[in-house]
Amino acid sequence: MIWIALRMLTGDRQKFYGLVFGVAFSTLLITQQLTIFANLLERGASGVYNVPDADVWVMDPATRTIEVAYPLPSTALDRVRSVPGILWAVPHLRATASVRTGAGNLEAVAIVGVDDSTLVGLPPRVAPGKVAALTSPGSVIIDDVGAGRMFGVGNPVIGQRFELNDQRAVIRGVTDSFPNFTNQVTLYTRYSEALSYVPGTRNRLTFILVKGDGAMTDQELAHRIAKISGLRARSSEQFADDAIEYILENTGIPMNFGITVGLGFIIGVAIVGLTFSLFIRDSIKQFGALKAMGVSNKAIRRMVTAQASMIGLIGYSLGLVGTALFVWGFSNSATFKGFYIPWQVPLISFSAVALILAATSRIALNRLMTTEPAAVFR
Amino acid sequence: MTPVTRQSAAISARGVTRAFRSGSQVVDVLHGVDLDIRAGELTYLIGESGSGKTTLVSILCGILWPTAGDVRVFGTDIYTLSDRELTDFRLRNIGFIFQQYNLLSSIDAASNAAVPLIAQGMRVVEARDQALAMLEKLNIADQAEKLPSQLSGGQQQRVAIARALVHAPKLIVCDEPTAALDATSGRRVMNLLREVAIQRDRACIIVTHDNRVFDLADRIVELEDGRIIDQGRQLSETD
Amino acid sequence: MALKDLSFTRGILPAAALLGLVGAMIFVSRGLPDHDSDLPEEPERGVTVDRGPFRVAGTGVVEPSSESIAVGAALAGLVAEVFVTPGDHVSRGQPLFTVDTRALRSRLKESQAAEQEALTAIAEARANVEDARAGERIARRQLELYQAVDEAAAVSRAEVIRAEGDVSAAEGKRDLAEARLAATQSRYEAEQVRAESARVELDRATARAPISGEILAVNIRPGEFLSNQGAGGAKPFVEMGATHPLHVRIDVDEAQAPLVALGSPATVSPRGAEGAKVTAVFVRAEPVMVPKRSLTNSANERVDVRVLQLIYRLPPASGLFRVGQQVDAYMPATQRRRVKNK
Repeated sequence: MIWIALRMLTGDRQKFYGLVFGVAFSTLLITQQLTIFANLLERGASGVYNVPDADVWVMDPATRTIEVAYPLPSTALDRVRSVPGILWAVPHLRATASVRTGAGNLEAVAIVGVDDSTLVGLPPRVAPGKVAALTSPGSVIIDDVGAGRMFGVGNPVIGQRFELNDQRAVIRGVTDSFPNFTNQVTLYTRYSEALSYVPGTRNRLTFILVKGDGAMTDQELAHRIAKISGLRARSSEQFADDAIEYILENTGIPMNFGITVGLGFIIGVAIVGLTFSLFIRDSIKQFGALKAMGVSNKAIRRMVTAQASMIGLIGYSLGLVGTALFVWGFSNSATFKGFYIPWQVPLISFSAVALILAATSRIALNRLMTTEPAAVFR
Repeated sequence: MTPVTRQSAAISARGVTRAFRSGSQVVDVLHGVDLDIRAGELTYLIGESGSGKTTLVSILCGILWPTAGDVRVFGTDIYTLSDRELTDFRLRNIGFIFQQYNLLSSIDAASNAAVPLIAQGMRVVEARDQALAMLEKLNIADQAEKLPSQLSGGQQQRVAIARALVHAPKLIVCDEPTAALDATSGRRVMNLLREVAIQRDRACIIVTHDNRVFDLADRIVELEDGRIIDQGRQLSETD
Repeated sequence: MALKDLSFTRGILPAAALLGLVGAMIFVSRGLPDHDSDLPEEPERGVTVDRGPFRVAGTGVVEPSSESIAVGAALAGLVAEVFVTPGDHVSRGQPLFTVDTRALRSRLKESQAAEQEALTAIAEARANVEDARAGERIARRQLELYQAVDEAAAVSRAEVIRAEGDVSAAEGKRDLAEARLAATQSRYEAEQVRAESARVELDRATARAPISGEILAVNIRPGEFLSNQGAGGAKPFVEMGATHPLHVRIDVDEAQAPLVALGSPATVSPRGAEGAKVTAVFVRAEPVMVPKRSLTNSANERVDVRVLQLIYRLPPASGLFRVGQQVDAYMPATQRRRVKNK
């Protein structure tokens, strides 16, 4: 009977495509919006993800995220280094400054000062310049998205000079890193250089990056550092979560995306629900005949479930493929750089589709179940 | 010719009453109908519109529960069965030819004819093979792969007949087979039915009010206002 | 049979959809970022130290064991000559540089000429004294002669008186000549002293090494003017110190200062070569806690923290350390701090 059911479904091309389109569209809308939402949120934590080496971030107790940071006195580094269980601890500076680009525009940049001797704090992938180039004075490494913003996409970047707080800075390399939330240009330089690029305040050490010796979990180590040094210490994951939470609490983004995802759901319910009940209504006579001929309610339920499943499977697949193509297609654009589909998102949209189809086929079935087989003789 | 007795009848109804609720009033459509139908005969159920013939045939073929009375189909008291058992009984033992044929519009003629077999759980390929054989009997095997919408009314009806016969049911119920046809076509259909449907162990009920084909019945049962006014008029001289 | 002609909606579309689903799933699983991955190319790792349970970390700067000596100049003036270059090893008293001495030398010559002149005047005065003494002797003898003649007639009384007058005049002359001589002599002595003082000044114009050691920095060049007045913030003219052995001055945060186990050796590694660790012997702790000193020479980099300065002696030359180099140091802590873990 499932064979028949599927043929009944595909027999009416218009309604079939309408149903598939409805499911595909709401899958696309939900998946794609959730993907963008999740990725945007993760961009708030990109600074943390860009330093995969650090197990623990140590900061002033007032610091909230990587961008909302209050600097520490430089002796804090020694205090952290004194904590047992640490493999190494290096200073990390984050500040903002303004540069004049070649075109004369003012651009706010984030300055990241990485440890002088080990360069811990640089994103893992630096191309095409070499990491070692940072050791020459006045050299900075720019993030790839920022490079495009400052010098235009495709233009040569290496060797470009500009003025940074009255100092000369030469770009010696380009990172391949996760852009941050505001797509701000990020310049990586050595800690000692960064001090001269950043207008002076007394304290400028913003973070201390710590690697544990592996004897305990990052969280335990963070807890110990906080206890001994009196500073705030967060494991990388915690700190990334902090950044995401900060965005959730302080921006309208969750609301906006929530609305869009809700709209996707409603559109799905509307299109699929209406089309499906239209389809059932049109074939109610055929179903009635089948019932009269002795097809049981159970079999009919199975038929409708098969129809819903087919619509769901095809529509969902197409929607997911659409999202994948979207992410893949825009993976080279600066705006969507590093975007990926979190594995939870297809599951969420799958549940949404399942919910839509379950609800609509439930309503359709109710109608079929109450249809009297005797009606075929009238 | 032997008189019809309850034991010898293929289908036997006793005291079948059916009441419908119409607003606050309860209207009795059937008033204690007793009926026996033989196997191997073509039985007409005739009557004016509103005489209750549709209700009666629905009850006889197990798709409408009577308010009172019992119906035996080849010895099975069908209204003592559970709903599920009754549905399954219909599936295996009764063939339907609906007035509007009610073919499934999106599957081809052979598949339509195979529906009862498929519903019984037979594999689609086998069911279609059997259905094709039946279509051949009905001389429309060449139309087997067309959709109902591509067939003429007569062809559709033959497919519907094939569907009613394909699973070799014991009872065939046919609702107004000639209503939409001219006299010649109506007679052709009736003759066809006589040809393919009537077997010794099979009962065949045709609901109609088309008096042009009365002469093709073996027996005519007439209904008026929910009562049988004429049972078992034997018209045919064939046996 | 029914599927012999492949239907788009029931055949191709679901197959394509399933294929797409599988593809999308692969895309999703491939695309998941791994935020925990370590660097493909590990940079040289940071400081790894003995993981003893109790330790105090500090940063320090290498300095000479004599501490750095800023050699000053006694005289202001133009630099005439610099005798050393950075890195030279000098022994105590060796000249380092001189300032221009031409003025001093001419003063000395002047004094010497005046000295000669005084000597001549002395000779003259001596001759005058001799003259006066001779005149006096003649006058006295004349008077004795007159007094020895008893005859009054032979020598008139008047002549005697004249002779007496001559004697006293000659005496006066001699006194005068003697006084002149004395004056000339003292003038000579004064000139001698002046010449000596000019010589001393000449010597002061040359700066000499106060100890044996290594020249660390030379910040003057011949021709530059060198002022010894109020040169507070200026760079030292010549910086030197004893670099065998080197010391390291380690700053420890005031919060941790009480925890340091004073007297125990420290582990020291230079910035940029964290692998090379040496053990430094405790020398002393500075009695005064000072504000955290800037380590990057930026005037802005002071923080409101005081530090305990600890001096450690580095092991003999390995070429690893240089004066002024920043180092990371780890000192054992007293066992007072209890680390509560788990």
